[in-house]
Amino acid sequence: MRWRGGTDVIVGALLIAVAAAGYWLAADLRIGTAMRMGPGYFPRLVCWVLAGFGLLLAARGLLAGGPPLETWAVRPLLLVSAAIAAFGLLLERLGLVVAVLALVALSRAGGREGRPVEAALLAIGLAVFCVSLFVWLLGMTPPVWPWRR
Amino acid sequence: MEVFANFGLGLAVAGTAENLFYCFLGALIGTLVGVLPGLGPVATVAMLLPVTFHLPAISALIMLAGIYYGAQYGASTTAILVNLPGENSSVVTCLDGYQMARQGRAGPALAVAALGSLFAGIAATFFIALFAPPLAEIALMFGPAEYFSLMLLGLVAAVVLAQGSLLKALAMIVLGLLLSLVGVDVNSGVARMTVGLVPLNDGIGFVPLAMGLFAVAEVIRNLERPEHRLLPQGRITHLWPSWDDFRRSAPAVLRGTSLGTVLGLLPGGGAMLSSFAAYTLEKKLSREPSRFGQGAVEGVAAPESANNAGAQTSFIPLLTLGIPANAVIALMAGAMMIHGVQPGPQVMTSNPDLFWGVIASMLIGNCMLVVINLPLIGLWVRLLHVPYRLFYPFLLAICCIGVYSLNNSTFDVFVLVAFGALGYAFLKWGCEPAPLLLAFVLGPLMEENVRRALVFSRGDASTFAARPISLGLLLLTLVLVLAIVLPAVRRARAN
Repeated sequence: MRWRGGTDVIVGALLIAVAAAGYWLAADLRIGTAMRMGPGYFPRLVCWVLAGFGLLLAARGLLAGGPPLETWAVRPLLLVSAAIAAFGLLLERLGLVVAVLALVALSRAGGREGRPVEAALLAIGLAVFCVSLFVWLLGMTPPVWPWRR
Repeated sequence: MEVFANFGLGLAVAGTAENLFYCFLGALIGTLVGVLPGLGPVATVAMLLPVTFHLPAISALIMLAGIYYGAQYGASTTAILVNLPGENSSVVTCLDGYQMARQGRAGPALAVAALGSLFAGIAATFFIALFAPPLAEIALMFGPAEYFSLMLLGLVAAVVLAQGSLLKALAMIVLGLLLSLVGVDVNSGVARMTVGLVPLNDGIGFVPLAMGLFAVAEVIRNLERPEHRLLPQGRITHLWPSWDDFRRSAPAVLRGTSLGTVLGLLPGGGAMLSSFAAYTLEKKLSREPSRFGQGAVEGVAAPESANNAGAQTSFIPLLTLGIPANAVIALMAGAMMIHGVQPGPQVMTSNPDLFWGVIASMLIGNCMLVVINLPLIGLWVRLLHVPYRLFYPFLLAICCIGVYSLNNSTFDVFVLVAFGALGYAFLKWGCEPAPLLLAFVLGPLMEENVRRALVFSRGDASTFAARPISLGLLLLTLVLVLAIVLPAVRRARAN
């Protein structure tokens, strides 16, 4: 799909959406007066300004044309995000070692090189490094192994 | 002379074995991230924030500062030897530095860069010691209305001087403000915009936000490009520059240092702006501009001194006004707040050991950096051969564990995921994450000062324009915006 507006329109529209969501979330907060501001005063103000910028940006994109959309590298984006999320999910359930192994496996899958043996060695090395630095040296206390709670 | 007494106090603080160690560690890590392309000081400082929370505030700031100016040293190595800027602030060093390396003069180029940076570092340190205190005294007279206007000016100026679309950058500021409002409101105790998530009551984490936007997004972006083979140019046979090199670079170092010192003070200034301006100035002043781009030693000396001076003086707005000038300094501000030190003019009087200790550590750190960079150059060259595929999982692991360690909560790890993806989207949309970070840091202070100013004026919003200093700051903000918008309007009409 090619159109003139490009990124400016998309960013503008998203900003308006965020402003609307923020406004809705702040809707039940008391506004108060300028002298005795309630918790809702400043958020609403910021949302209005944000929506204004979103409108300006979208209008500029539609009228003057903006920079074209760039292609996204979906694979690294998804796999790196998945790697960090997996770390978050596994750390307290199966321990630091498993979490680091999963992190390395998923994030390496996001790159271009296969090299499974190298990745496996890297994962083991990093797990050893993380446990020695963070647990033994810095004294952090996350669960380390799946079996010892 | 009060300055000398204070500086003596600073040297005593920075000279303890513990702080010397952290100063050295910061300088070493800074050199490392400077040398490695694809890993910037913003990402590194964000990654190391959780580690510094276990340290005393002074040691933490000394180390983080060392990373910032240390990166300026390391970046010149990569620029000269590989023709790739280790950081943005060394982009212009590539032009002449790499040519010098191709002519077999890599050693002298590196030496001029390091010695020029050393001179700039020492000069900038004394500049801070002399000029920060009077500035802080002026700022102490500010009321909430002045503070709000000053913060607005700081944010807008940081955007105007940065690159990219002004409109998008302003929108990023407002988005940063909005994000900073999430969490329990200090005045009323009401949870705002937390979507019912209890961990969000303390607000969105500063560390996962910064780490996601800068470190994780950078990793994703680096992965979409095929890996470069880095081939350092030539062997380094001798380091010492010739007499001719000295004669040519000495005035360039002086000019670069002065320019960098001044430009570092500006919001949005710092290392990058300084180096570009210094290179342009040298080329304009030179009697033989054609030598530039062909291995002119001035083209290395001036920007490398300027970026180091600029990196250091950009601490002045933070330490005296409490306004972070760029993303790295915003992270420092965050680090100070987490250690319970509110950045601003009162730091100098309430925490003189911190203020002068950090300044004095810059003197020590710069001397360490010359030793780290020149004799050990071979080590850093070898480091360039480590492929990215081996070291990005390492970066991600440090990020994850660091974020978790803040509150021992995996919630922050998921916040990291969200901001990593958002940061990548920002890169694709041409939105600068730095203004968002600045606004996120300043947001709570801005709201607080608006509220206070309006209480004092009994709800009359004209207080911001009625007080002369505040009005002046607001007018300056307006002039800055118009200065950028008007030429753009004219150009659009001409088309």
